[in-house]
Amino acid sequence: MNAEITGARVYWESDFTLPLFGHISITETMVNAWVVMLIILGLCLFFTHNLQKIPKGKQALIEKAIEMVDGLIEQNMGKGCQSYAPYIVTLLLSSVLGSLVSLIGLRSVTADLNTTLGWAIMTFCMIIYANIRYKGLGGYLKGFLEPIPVMLPLNILSEIATPVSMSFRHFGNIAGGMVITTLLMGALSALSTALHLPIPLLQIGIPGVLSLYFDLFSGCIQAFIFSMLTMAYVGSAREA
Amino acid sequence: MEVLTRAFVDLNLWSLFVTICNTLITFLIVKHFLFKPLRKMLAAREQEVRDLYAHAETDRREAEAMKRDYTVSISNAKQEAADIVSNAQKRAERHAEQILEQANREATVAKQRAEESIELERKKAMNQMKDEIADLSVMIASKVVEREVKADDHKRLIEDFIDKVG
Repeated sequence: MNAEITGARVYWESDFTLPLFGHISITETMVNAWVVMLIILGLCLFFTHNLQKIPKGKQALIEKAIEMVDGLIEQNMGKGCQSYAPYIVTLLLSSVLGSLVSLIGLRSVTADLNTTLGWAIMTFCMIIYANIRYKGLGGYLKGFLEPIPVMLPLNILSEIATPVSMSFRHFGNIAGGMVITTLLMGALSALSTALHLPIPLLQIGIPGVLSLYFDLFSGCIQAFIFSMLTMAYVGSAREA
Repeated sequence: MEVLTRAFVDLNLWSLFVTICNTLITFLIVKHFLFKPLRKMLAAREQEVRDLYAHAETDRREAEAMKRDYTVSISNAKQEAADIVSNAQKRAERHAEQILEQANREATVAKQRAEESIELERKKAMNQMKDEIADLSVMIASKVVEREVKADDHKRLIEDFIDKVG
């Protein structure tokens, strides 16, 4: 029995090449990401359908959730950052749902480095934008020479490390969980065969417990960490 | 058929580009379909609450002014009532005094008239008595003397006597 662990499947690849991109393709990650986007669109439409001045039911729920996000943003980024809320919610929802699609048998969107790195690059751009806006280009560049000019390479490295660490943390957690789940499934299947069970009975139940941690908990906590880090980095760039 | 897959840790510019586009689209979805209506609703509610409070404040002020007016007018009314009562009392007292006075006066007049009439009666009775006594005396005297006394002379004498006696 071989437990195969690979990256996302490629559904379609172009014969032509585009400059810079080369052969373009449609992968499992992309399709799953579109599924997630559809789910998000559905959720948005569901929660904002028939809004009342006196909230009740789902409206109270979504209002509370938005209030919580606003509270988090105010706490981490300071006042007057409400315009960042949609981006934070986008990250949270994409990340949570992107990880949790594994529960319905799809490959996690976040188990692809391109996904998390894409988000990290966007956050990184926002950090740089906030830095330049609030410190000025000169002030931002001067920050690399502090506390002493010799630190320049280290400072550049630490700046670049931000998106890299963010993306690899998220990717690693989800992909690692997927690897462990796959290995476990393989192992249980092999064990069932060794015990001469007609069907791999051991695969029932046991992976579910681990899935609670690796899919549910890990997926939620990584989404939260990613969003919190985005808020913290952009907030500290604004503060300075 | 061989399934084409990417490497487990794979870096692909096209995938990155697609991810960023997807995220931007998701951002627009969340912003347009979640935040826009919700924020609008929250703003509307905030405005309504603000209006309600402002309205309540005006109402309270109005009520306070009304209360002040009422207090003033009630104290005025009380004063007026007291005035009316005291006026009525005074008038009643005066009236009573007038009645008493009139009654006194009338009583005095009646008493006076009664006294006058009593006096008149008395005089009348006196005169009558005088006459009768005179007649009686004449009769007694004539009986005693057994002779004819000239009635008129005696009568005059007796009347003189009676006048002297009483």
